[in-house]
Amino acid sequence: MKQRLRHYIMPLAVTLGAASTASGDQWSDQFPHIANTGDIAGECSYESMSQKDYSGRTLTINTHAVPVMGEPTALHAESFAALTGATVDVIHTPAGDLYSKAMIPFQAGQAPYDIVFGFSNFIRDWLPYLEPVPEYYVNMRQMQDVTQSHIDVNSWDGQMVQFPIDGDRHYLKYRKDVIDNPEMQAKYLADTGNELRVPQTWKEYAEMASYFNGWDWDNDGELEYGSAEVMKKDDLMYAAFFSRSVAYSKNPRTEGGFFFDLETMEPLINNPGFVEALTDWVEATSYVPPGGINFGLGDEINSFGGGQTLFSFSWDDAFVAAMEDTSPIKNQVGVAPLPGADRVWNRDTGAWDDTYNQAPYIVWGWTAAVAKKSKNHEMAFDYLCFFANDANHQADIAIGRFGVNPFKKSDFVPEIYVERQGWDPQIAQEYSETLLDMEEGSTNRVFPLRVPGVFEFTSAVATGTSKALAGQLSPQEALDEVAAEWEAILDRVGRDNVRDAYAIGVALEDNLR
Amino acid sequence: MRFGHKYAFLLPGLLVLIAILIFPILFTVRLSLSGWNSYNPNLDFVGIKNYIRLFTSDARFWEAFFRLSFFSFTTVFLQYVLGFGLALLVWKDILFKRFFRVLFLIPMMTTPVIMTVIWKTVFHESLGPVNDLLSYVGVSYNWLSDPVVSKFTVIIVEVWQWTPFMFLLLLAGLLSLPKEAFLAASIDGAGPIRKFIYVTFPLMAPISIGAIIIRLIEASKIMDTIYVLTSGGPGTSTETTSFYIFIKGLREFQFGYAAAMSFTYLIIMIISLTVIVNVLVRVFNGRNS
Amino acid sequence: MRSFYTTLKYLAVTLWTIFVIGPFLWALSTSFKDFNSVTSGAKYIPWAQFEPTLDGWRVLTKTSAQGGVDIIEPFFNSLTVTGLASLISIVLGTLAAYALSRYQFKFGFVKNNDITFFFISQRIMPPVVLALPFFILLSNFGLLDSILGLIIVYIVLLMPIAVWIMVDFFNKVPREIDETALVDGCNPFEAFFQVVLPNSIPGLVVAGMFCLIFGWTDFFFSFFLTFTEVQLLPVRIVALNSSITPWWSLSAAALVSVAPLLLVAFIVERFLSKGNLSGALK
Repeated sequence: MKQRLRHYIMPLAVTLGAASTASGDQWSDQFPHIANTGDIAGECSYESMSQKDYSGRTLTINTHAVPVMGEPTALHAESFAALTGATVDVIHTPAGDLYSKAMIPFQAGQAPYDIVFGFSNFIRDWLPYLEPVPEYYVNMRQMQDVTQSHIDVNSWDGQMVQFPIDGDRHYLKYRKDVIDNPEMQAKYLADTGNELRVPQTWKEYAEMASYFNGWDWDNDGELEYGSAEVMKKDDLMYAAFFSRSVAYSKNPRTEGGFFFDLETMEPLINNPGFVEALTDWVEATSYVPPGGINFGLGDEINSFGGGQTLFSFSWDDAFVAAMEDTSPIKNQVGVAPLPGADRVWNRDTGAWDDTYNQAPYIVWGWTAAVAKKSKNHEMAFDYLCFFANDANHQADIAIGRFGVNPFKKSDFVPEIYVERQGWDPQIAQEYSETLLDMEEGSTNRVFPLRVPGVFEFTSAVATGTSKALAGQLSPQEALDEVAAEWEAILDRVGRDNVRDAYAIGVALEDNLR
Repeated sequence: MRFGHKYAFLLPGLLVLIAILIFPILFTVRLSLSGWNSYNPNLDFVGIKNYIRLFTSDARFWEAFFRLSFFSFTTVFLQYVLGFGLALLVWKDILFKRFFRVLFLIPMMTTPVIMTVIWKTVFHESLGPVNDLLSYVGVSYNWLSDPVVSKFTVIIVEVWQWTPFMFLLLLAGLLSLPKEAFLAASIDGAGPIRKFIYVTFPLMAPISIGAIIIRLIEASKIMDTIYVLTSGGPGTSTETTSFYIFIKGLREFQFGYAAAMSFTYLIIMIISLTVIVNVLVRVFNGRNS
Repeated sequence: MRSFYTTLKYLAVTLWTIFVIGPFLWALSTSFKDFNSVTSGAKYIPWAQFEPTLDGWRVLTKTSAQGGVDIIEPFFNSLTVTGLASLISIVLGTLAAYALSRYQFKFGFVKNNDITFFFISQRIMPPVVLALPFFILLSNFGLLDSILGLIIVYIVLLMPIAVWIMVDFFNKVPREIDETALVDGCNPFEAFFQVVLPNSIPGLVVAGMFCLIFGWTDFFFSFFLTFTEVQLLPVRIVALNSSITPWWSLSAAALVSVAPLLLVAFIVERFLSKGNLSGALK
């Protein structure tokens, strides 16, 4: 791990060194966004793009609302237009509607957008309407810097169809001023008999969150709570549930599927591992802030990022918000892998394996793709390539509200965050190591469900788990209902259609590549 | 001689409406007989499979429909009573009459999808003003996350937004009442309450029925409020038919099935509204006789 | 006793006033906050409780490359679409409503009431599924992402309201008015335009107001039927609702979007207060 890190630091140190001399070059004078590094040579650098001439042509992009992803899209569109002479129209759509806003024209045989932004788990449904990324971009140097797992989530059966522009994963965020605080550690030990440390299991997570729930432990005059999580029945909550499930259900000794048994296509969603995770989650409703079971991602960010809770886990946003310069808790938050579990369900033996288990969930995240029916394929890929070029990317990851997070090997270098964003060196170190280890270290990873009709499956999970959180059903009943719904969806979609698609994700999980 | 003219008045509007709607309606009928979804965007023919699924194995739709009926009747009833009350209050002598009349109209001019975001911040359990102010009297509620309380939150927001609609129609009705009827009642020596029961209320019957029907139609489409406030949660405790159709249609892209649900909903609504109109006519006219 | 009633009356009006303006005051206060002021508990009074900032408002004039949403162009798009669609709906709807109020129709078992109900029943259908056929319809005529396309769709939304309300109003205009005019030698159109219509202006104002409101606040159709050329105000404002919900700029935008309709409210109130409504029936 350490060695690999050093392996990546070397080339980057060179880049950083070169950057400091390069800053103030002609491009950063014209485009202040990249003032820190200046242009960085590459296939899609400012220099390379300025050689292209797209004048008289129009590129249309559907992206997310501002500022997350939306602002960098528009900003790079402006630069791209200035460099190439193209006209770039950008429209902004809330996250929940990105799928349907593109899908309606797709299904009606239209391509009003050359580029569509979305989430990487749309991949199977959008596949028929997307133009694969041409060989040139797949093999270019800029792409070789992208981590394998982000190549994988953007590819379908070995062919890249979405362009990596952002990195996403779920990880644990915690308040260092509590967990690493000797006074708190002593108090916690005295009261509970347990050690206060970064939680290794979800049970520890629950104990600590309960203990630090409902009192003002940072003396700011407001009450603090245990955990902020996405529990609102919407397009994201099932991802939080899967993050809580992987430790109990992803057993490295039972290959051939996490969501389904690949052979029989029997849903595994109601096996004891998932039930245990949902039972934990129902218990979690007692240590979230008031109204916490109606928290969407925005509320989670406000809550943890605003210093209201001890823990949070999901995408980078809450952590980034907490580390903003204006944040009252800057440099008081830590990063760690998702908690594990002391036992993991083994579906082959039908019993629990009593060993410690931890599994990173390579959650889906932001990506962008080019419409097959677009008449501007080359320009569109050039834009995406330009979006993710080294100069833009390094400037983007330093701006929290952009929502652009590490996905290149050269991103996992603590110095970047210390120098450019004023992070505490230890936090930057933890951040880089945790993320990189998730990307490249584990062989027990879970990939997002990427099958035809993916929203039917995930929506069933959201409905079922939400009923359990609200106390309408017990965890077992709720997940039995989900499993039954999954069976019905399988019948409608066709078991084989789903299996063919699911096999591609399982191959990644089982490290068969 | 009048015969030709009546069509000249009616047909432009009617035909324009039909011309625009004929394709979408026929397409939706056809859609409801197809398996159109995210991976099969075709008008294949699956017979009445979608309808069978709806009537035999989708309890969630019917639960949502009963919840919707509850929301519609409650909110429209409250809007009618409050709207009528407010219209009576600012009908005659009151200071700043014109100011209040304008003020009371404002909520319905806000865009639901945007205003509900504001409401969500208002009811935010730990960062919003409602619980903060209530904490001075020592209470707080989980406005958006309690299965029971969240229903009332939805109702409060709906009442805030749409009471002005009732208020305006009823105020306009009150202001156009013929004075003769009141004069006659005054001569008979009727007090304000008797005047209201025997004169005002019956005279307001047609406008009341019209307003209630249109509000019932609109209230039944409730969508943005629920989407933004609770997304139908916690669990399914605030999920209504229209929101459920939205999930099946624009989230899961089961367009064939969503079309079948829409049509079923349309037919149930037409039948219910016809019944409701007859009941309302009887309620209002029963008082009269 | 009388003063008790008066007290009660003013109490009720005051309570409702607080209920009505409460959310607006909260939005006004929130529009001057930033992330930290929002996440540190409920705060009301600028300077005293939090340091106000104009960032929430500035966002509304910035381009999206600067992290804002420019609402000026969509504001005028919304005015155009809503205004024209309302006008057309009122014209067509009023004519139809007059016919339904004054003449007997019978097509088989379909009579006046059924035709009126047919109009209003067009609003029953949940819009969700209609998004797809309307998309296909407009794309066949090349009207996607155009002002004209939106107007066409909005006519379907608005005309039923105009018909429904105007039928009620025409029913209250005494028939003697038209009959006198007809006896005086007007043809039915002259009678309608010169005599009945001037007496129905209050009804037109109320119906017009509802058309403007329903058009102005529609989000769904303008969202799915436009791309880049024509964006309406609600669609543009919703583009602010990112992963982090910006309470501040959404509050500012909500206040801005109400403004033009306030003017409509004043106009409507004028007609009400001048007693034109009752005057219509003399």
